[in-house]
Amino acid sequence: MSMETLNKLVARSIIDPGVVQAFTAGRIGDVISELDFSAELCDSLSDIEAESWAEYAVLAYRYVKAAEEREVRIQLPSPLEGLLPDEKRAEDEQAA
Amino acid sequence: MIPITREERQWFLRSLAQGLIDYLGVQEPPVPVEDLLKNPPPLYDSDFGVVDMYSNLWDATFARPPTQRGSIFVRIDLDPEERRFALARETLSALITSKHGRAIGLFDLLLPHLRESAEYFASHLLAPATMLKAYHEQGGRARGMSKTFGIPPFVALQRWEDFHSIDHTP
Repeated sequence: MSMETLNKLVARSIIDPGVVQAFTAGRIGDVISELDFSAELCDSLSDIEAESWAEYAVLAYRYVKAAEEREVRIQLPSPLEGLLPDEKRAEDEQAA
Repeated sequence: MIPITREERQWFLRSLAQGLIDYLGVQEPPVPVEDLLKNPPPLYDSDFGVVDMYSNLWDATFARPPTQRGSIFVRIDLDPEERRFALARETLSALITSKHGRAIGLFDLLLPHLRESAEYFASHLLAPATMLKAYHEQGGRARGMSKTFGIPPFVALQRWEDFHSIDHTP
């Protein structure tokens, strides 16, 4: 979802001078805060320093991609699941 | 300019292409690239144009005569699909050298890999992932893609293979 939002922002920037003007004026945080990013990403993207909008976009891509990869990793089940017998798994969960 | 990977460059090029498609407001192929060049977004009034030429030297090339509007000079005798692809390819040069493109930093980002970038950009401008996905879901096949999207067969084949290997996301 975040990547889709970033895609739309970069796509918009090629025909809407307002995005680049906000970046140049140091107000890209205002634009970012209006979009559908998580609070954490919003902070990270607002703090990026770059020499040009193109550079900013690539750095933002790295942040968003890393955030999405972290999200996918969190959703993955433990590799131990399915390997341990049910009883052992229940014991481990109790111990935890 | 920071070093960037090919994947990052390609993502950026897809986003640029999508911006122009959004401006056109088209949902289905073929993407009217010549209309875009003849009726550009206001930011590119001084950068987009098409001039037909008799030439054996190139299919199309972008040039910006001093103090004049930039234009793509295109061979008059190209097949329609080849003409569309050549125009889409040269559109990237028009973007990069435009006032807005320079302000964005396109020149530094894309010039070192201009030819490869331009062809990638053109194939995504003329066959964006969203349209290709819809085409595929409606039973479209590789063989009919060239005609549906108005692109040369070798470009259609390459784009079809790319689509199935990596980019189902817009």
